[in-house]
Amino acid sequence: MNRMTDSPSKRRALVIEDDADIRGLLVHILSMQGFEVAEAGTASDGLEAARAGADLITLDLNLPDGDGVDVCREVRTFSDAYILMITARTDEIERLTGLETGADDYISKPFSPRELVARVNSLFRRQRSHTAADEAHADERRRAGEVQQSLLPRDSLQLDGFDLAGRFRPSRSVGGDFYDWYPTEDGMHLTVADAMGKGMGAALIAATVRAVMRSAGNSTDLDAAFEDAARAMEGDLEQAGSFVTLFHARLTTVDGLVEYIDAGHGLALKVAGDGTCTRLTPGGPPVGAWPGQRWTSDRVKLDPGDSLAIISDGLLDIYDTVEDFTAAVAGVVHSSPTAADACRMLLGMADVPEVADDVTVVVLNRRAEN
Amino acid sequence: MQFSTEHRTGYTEVLGNGRLNMVAAPKLRDVVSAVVAAGKTRIVINLAGTSFIDSSGLGALIGCLKLARQAGGDLRIACVQPQVQMVLELTSMHRVLTPHPTAEGAFSDD
Repeated sequence: MNRMTDSPSKRRALVIEDDADIRGLLVHILSMQGFEVAEAGTASDGLEAARAGADLITLDLNLPDGDGVDVCREVRTFSDAYILMITARTDEIERLTGLETGADDYISKPFSPRELVARVNSLFRRQRSHTAADEAHADERRRAGEVQQSLLPRDSLQLDGFDLAGRFRPSRSVGGDFYDWYPTEDGMHLTVADAMGKGMGAALIAATVRAVMRSAGNSTDLDAAFEDAARAMEGDLEQAGSFVTLFHARLTTVDGLVEYIDAGHGLALKVAGDGTCTRLTPGGPPVGAWPGQRWTSDRVKLDPGDSLAIISDGLLDIYDTVEDFTAAVAGVVHSSPTAADACRMLLGMADVPEVADDVTVVVLNRRAEN
Repeated sequence: MQFSTEHRTGYTEVLGNGRLNMVAAPKLRDVVSAVVAAGKTRIVINLAGTSFIDSSGLGALIGCLKLARQAGGDLRIACVQPQVQMVLELTSMHRVLTPHPTAEGAFSDD
């Protein structure tokens, strides 16, 4: 979280304002106050710049491509920056304070440089008096993040002839993705899931789904086991107005056969030893999305040198098409010496402002025979 | 994200401009709830101006479809842009929320 900042020299401000004169004035005033200032003239550019990080955002209410209130709420989904909303009319402020915009303060045009500086200073002062409560919340979020990370498989599995790795990076302290694996007599069970939304609510759903999918491991028939698990989850998901995309698979190491069900996940890839890539066939919609669904399993064989990569849709956001995404992932998986290297690289690719969602990657390589 | 509602012959059209995500999702639900509460249960969501959808946005469309069906009507989507089409196909939800090329044609089959 990027709220505050002990050293004033490191404070970053972002000015979102379409009027070039006012924008220039704001940039000038804030630079004089020691801020490192970025600027944007539209809502969409502003959001992108906000994702890059800021401690203070001045936000014009009327932008050519959007409403400042929407921008403000959107920024609040990923940033704790101070938001100072700028409006053209004093009477607007009364209406705005009634809305839950997520803004920290409001100022109306025209404003004097001195007035602006006073508001900004007061925001940063106010924060200091709230430190105890903020600290407690931050602690709780940190703890929740630790708990969620602890629910991920701690170790890779020792699978004869295979190399397995996974990584998960939530967009906030916790997220709605998870991956899970555990050994079976002849291989392993693997689940990669993505609960709707982001943050704490999605994380609670994800934890429930993980537990239910674990219990599905007892049944030998994949289709029956998945159906039972899905039925067990549907009621809760319906109640919560949520759904979850799931990729669930069973690997037999001796022949490299992977039996799987793709329930609305859509981004499981087989990368062959020669670098060619195929997307695994979908088996139905996400669990909990629509009542009365059935899911169909399919099989894919991993020969020596082949890999399986399951990626969550967070990474997809930086590509225009699924084909571009598939080619990029295949390139990384094919050229990485180990599954862990591939995961690290793929997660690195998601380290850009455009990726606002949780990101999960799991890579399974069948070692080439020497 | 901005929504507007137009009452047409035989259906009510809801237009959405912007990104249908975690922030816009509750808004869409509110807009469609109000339409359904007013007794209009044949709804077309025109997505011509919706450039992006995430899982929360998809959840909102599904929730709105449920609302319309529960009230004895239906909800259809039209003028879907490439990223939205991609998400619908990846999640196999295009079978439930089938995109129609135009808003006028969305209810033409019945």
